[in-house]
Amino acid sequence: MRHRKHGSLVTSVVMIALACVVGLPFYYIVVNTLKTQEQAASSPLAPPSELYLDNFSTVFDSVPVLDSFANTVYVTALSVVLMLLIGSMAAYAIIMRRSRFNRWFSVLLLLAFMVPFQTTLLPLYEMMADVQLIDSLNGLVVLYSAGSIFCYFLIQGYMKTVPHEIIEAARIDGCGPFGIYWRIVLPLIRPILVTVGVFQVMWVWNDFITPNVFITSPEKATLVLQVYSAVGQFSVDWPAFMTLSVVVLIPMVIFFLTMQRHIVKGLVSGSVKS
Amino acid sequence: MSVNVATTGVARRHSAGDAGERGRRERFRDGRWREATANQLFLVPVAAVFVVLFAIPLGRSIYYSFTDFDGYSNEKNFVGLRNYGRIFSDSAMSAGLSFTLLFAVGTTLLVTMIAIPLAVVLDQKFFGRNVVRAVFFFPAIPSIALLGLVWTFILSPLASGVLNSTLDALFGVGPVPWLSDSTLARASTIFVGVWAQAGWHAILYLAYLQSIPGDYYEAATIDGASSRQQFFRITLPLLMPAMTVSQLLLLTGGLKVFDLPFTLTGGGPGYSTHTITQAIIQGGLAQGRFGEGSALAVVFMLVVLAVILGQLAVARRLERRVL
Repeated sequence: MRHRKHGSLVTSVVMIALACVVGLPFYYIVVNTLKTQEQAASSPLAPPSELYLDNFSTVFDSVPVLDSFANTVYVTALSVVLMLLIGSMAAYAIIMRRSRFNRWFSVLLLLAFMVPFQTTLLPLYEMMADVQLIDSLNGLVVLYSAGSIFCYFLIQGYMKTVPHEIIEAARIDGCGPFGIYWRIVLPLIRPILVTVGVFQVMWVWNDFITPNVFITSPEKATLVLQVYSAVGQFSVDWPAFMTLSVVVLIPMVIFFLTMQRHIVKGLVSGSVKS
Repeated sequence: MSVNVATTGVARRHSAGDAGERGRRERFRDGRWREATANQLFLVPVAAVFVVLFAIPLGRSIYYSFTDFDGYSNEKNFVGLRNYGRIFSDSAMSAGLSFTLLFAVGTTLLVTMIAIPLAVVLDQKFFGRNVVRAVFFFPAIPSIALLGLVWTFILSPLASGVLNSTLDALFGVGPVPWLSDSTLARASTIFVGVWAQAGWHAILYLAYLQSIPGDYYEAATIDGASSRQQFFRITLPLLMPAMTVSQLLLLTGGLKVFDLPFTLTGGGPGYSTHTITQAIIQGGLAQGRFGEGSALAVVFMLVVLAVILGQLAVARRLERRVL
């Protein structure tokens, strides 16, 4: 079937048509950013007749988009770095010493990985309240560090491929465990750190349930939560809401375009693991 | 910083190098021991994550599920299995269970049925293939919560909703209550879930498809196998591992679903698109019924574990039979 060539024109037409249908919602939100409310209501799918940019000023005037953007960058950057650090350290320890304790510990981590967030949510809320980390960006970072267990499994699989001779040579040259980890192993496993990092950035950046439960004040909202809170505000002004959605989408689109290769690679390696 | 710690350790070990044979051996063992300890120290952060974010809250969840704890008061009375019985009599919780199961099974079946043929087509050469691949994959990039919000405008039950006004212009039909009728709301939620995930899973299958050697198809063509036969006899069996992975992700993701129904319908109308997660959050946190919420959370974990183990067992058996 992959060798038939004469059907490729039909395939092309059908697939492009299907892709248009699948992409229609995105077309819809983008064209409506340039329309007035009346135009959007009367002809939702028509291309805009003129360059109407008031929606953008409405959105930036009434929603603290830039603050939420800064919050999201802060939480995402800090928690992904933390996750990669904790996960790679754990992988290093367990690979360097294959003791019975370490094997059992690895199994425990696998069990923890299967526990859904929903199951620990209520006690976590109670515990975070005890240490004053409700409605705090650092509280979110603490919660997201749970993702380090996922990082551990992916990194550990890759770290096994690091040749033992290199580590042995470094040890003979007088490099201690911390030096080996920081100067030898981490640079060698950079590809998997990028892949896992990309995946975790998408998770944290897009996550809704954690900020929705743990963040209460608007000035600490992440982007997704900010859009959710703005629904009521823009329930009549649809074009403004679409504009806000597009503004929030842009960073992720740029991220997708630059990281596309890693995303697909991560999708495969990430799924092979589980 | 960690580098400094390591080098001073090394320096100390070397400076005492000119002692007797016995002392040297002892120090060697001492060095090995110190190195092992240092290695083990690398586990401390992940152990902290495990204890604080998994073990303690999981233990508390199980404990609370047997008490009448309300989340605030100091009083916790042991109530046995009462909370577990209430899950099924409480309308919000039982509705959450049933819609979550429907969503998980529905999206898993539909996405699989769409993604495999889609992957086969996307594997062929045709004009515009890369753009088409990117478009199908794209809904997996933004937050699903954001997509849910956008779809509320598209599927708005009002006559001014995008889909309704388009349908009216094309066919002259009156407004369809996409999100305000319970059956339609359930179907719409599953539809958006499928829309958002099908392309992502197609790309996953595509990655596995590309690892099937072309020789198999050549040999089959020479032996006179039709493309239909090739699909069912070569492609599908060799996609078994991919199906295991994809369906496991779909099922567990479907059971954990919260963002999409919550942003699209808010769980309504009534409790028709209520999810387990929403029931845990609203019942446990908002209404202060920690006991019942925890019982639901524990049952939920057991369901997820059973699904993971069951699916792996079935997949293993199928793979053995096919290959």
